[in-house]
Amino acid sequence: MTSRERVELALRHQEPDRVPLDLGSTMVTGMQASSVYQLRQALGLDEPGTPVKVVEPYQMLGEIKIDLIEALGVDTVGLWGKKNFFGFANEGWKPWTLFDGTPVLVPERFNTEPDENGDILTYPEGDVSVPPSARMPQGGWYFDSIVRQGPIDDDSLNVEDNLEEFGPLSDEEIAWFTSEIDRLADTDRAVIGSLGGASFGDIALVPAPQLKHPKGIRDIEEWYVSTGIRRGYVYEIFDRQCEIALNNLEKFYEICGNRLTAVFMTGTDFGTQNGPFISPKTYHELFKPFHVRINNWIHENTEWRSFIHSCGSIWRLLDDIVDAGFEILNPVQITAAEMDPGDLKGKYGDRVTFWGGGIDTQKTLPFGSPDEVRENVRHTMRIFGQGGGFVWNSVHNVQAGVPRDNLLALYEAINEYRTYPIT
Amino acid sequence: MANLDEIRQMTIDGAIAGIAAKVQEALDQGVAAETILNEGLVSGMDHVGSMFEAGEYFVPEMLIAARTMDNALSVLKPHLIKEGAEFIGTVAIGTVKGDLHDIGKRLVAMMLEGAGFQIIDLGVDVKPELFVEEVRNGATLVAVSALLTTTMTNMGDVAKALEEAGLRQNARFIVGGAPVTEEYAESIGADGYADTAIAAVRVARDLVGARRHDPV
Repeated sequence: MTSRERVELALRHQEPDRVPLDLGSTMVTGMQASSVYQLRQALGLDEPGTPVKVVEPYQMLGEIKIDLIEALGVDTVGLWGKKNFFGFANEGWKPWTLFDGTPVLVPERFNTEPDENGDILTYPEGDVSVPPSARMPQGGWYFDSIVRQGPIDDDSLNVEDNLEEFGPLSDEEIAWFTSEIDRLADTDRAVIGSLGGASFGDIALVPAPQLKHPKGIRDIEEWYVSTGIRRGYVYEIFDRQCEIALNNLEKFYEICGNRLTAVFMTGTDFGTQNGPFISPKTYHELFKPFHVRINNWIHENTEWRSFIHSCGSIWRLLDDIVDAGFEILNPVQITAAEMDPGDLKGKYGDRVTFWGGGIDTQKTLPFGSPDEVRENVRHTMRIFGQGGGFVWNSVHNVQAGVPRDNLLALYEAINEYRTYPIT
Repeated sequence: MANLDEIRQMTIDGAIAGIAAKVQEALDQGVAAETILNEGLVSGMDHVGSMFEAGEYFVPEMLIAARTMDNALSVLKPHLIKEGAEFIGTVAIGTVKGDLHDIGKRLVAMMLEGAGFQIIDLGVDVKPELFVEEVRNGATLVAVSALLTTTMTNMGDVAKALEEAGLRQNARFIVGGAPVTEEYAESIGADGYADTAIAAVRVARDLVGARRHDPV
């Protein structure tokens, strides 16, 4: 059985030979570069001091190279856009060092400046002549956006200002996807496509770290407030964004056809640790109509499965999210309120593939013992793995600071417990 | 007391635009600022808190209520100072060093303010020294938030910095945020932990209430 067949069987809610494993196919199922370095060293894949490529410089995700994919038994690969969160291509690599001393390679246009506190600032499109768009605090592990919010005049708000980052795929991007899908489809792994553009109201994207002079509503709190007091404005942004995304999906399908197994459609977080971020009513009225339009197009025109990522406690939104046509749920934050693995599998297991939830990354993985890590993997594998509908992934990207022994215990346990029948 | 009921309801409904004028109207009619605060805003925010706990209000509604309260307080504050109104306590609040997340901390600050505390919001990525400085200036409660597993571990430094400055007995120290647990809070010597903004108010009231009877 090939990796692609394994993933596709699981997505059809059948048990393959073993639970498929994802690491690094999307920007929410990977591993921070420092942990990738530790894991590669622990597995003896590199000489000490060998740098890890940073393939996503906002979250500082490390490259999951083919040797690591093979060593761990990963079944997926990712088709990503040409440009990263900061609006430049991952090319022309140069050495850089993380705060903890990990040697990495970063794209040549990843330009940084220290500020007076020792924080690291970085720039949209790598252009140091404009104000920085993101900051890594001193000693930190990744970037957060710097909010660049001009004064808001409600009488002259224009949705175009909040749509600057969305547009038709360029010739350059089309050429990129065309050559990348050929390369990836040549592997026997399931290809997960990330087209972007349909993460309506994703708070990580609202400040637009890739734009040099973002306009419209870009402040995080202002955005949340706007979903209440400027509902019409936000709805119109989504409506226009959806049109653009549907046109791009059409082109994306022309390029990729059914060589993609699934598409990462949205990364908007709808949950907090204790409950939904927004009311079920707001999800229903403001977000669901657009999720339905996107998913209907996918289902009517492709064989792709639609992948939604939302952190946090979203149990109270799940009826609507599933009804909107998503078939893959990630990251399945089992440590959040009302996100019990048994409840999730019991209620939604016949319709939804759980792509995540395999290990708690808030407590057990970074702070537990190797035995606790193994036990967590065994426990969730038993629940989510029954009857297929499970692709193993951690709850969100594996963060920095995970002890080396825990990383080793994690992948040993996955490979020990992933074989069907799971008992 | 029609105005106080209206102010209370406007706080609950998030009437950002209208509340300042309504507060001014009440002041013009001779209602004491402290009465407007307690019977209008604090009472309204209490209700907002219960709506949040009951799963009827969510983050956007809370932020809208916070903004409504801010607008009311901008009119009310000079009058409160003039009247010599007393706060329950002064809270130095911030997100821990290394962490840039603001929303959760902001919700806690707003609920504490709505409960009658004076708030000194130190922002995000706050160095321990800044909390120490505020305790030196009279803050009686230090509230620290962390969203990340990688920054949570910096929260203990705040307690240590207070110890080193000889000020640990002058203020209570509470923590919260997504990865933080009660056990973790205890392990770093925190006096209290809360898993929601509403719980933070209860903990703060308990601790600072207890503090008032402490003959330190």
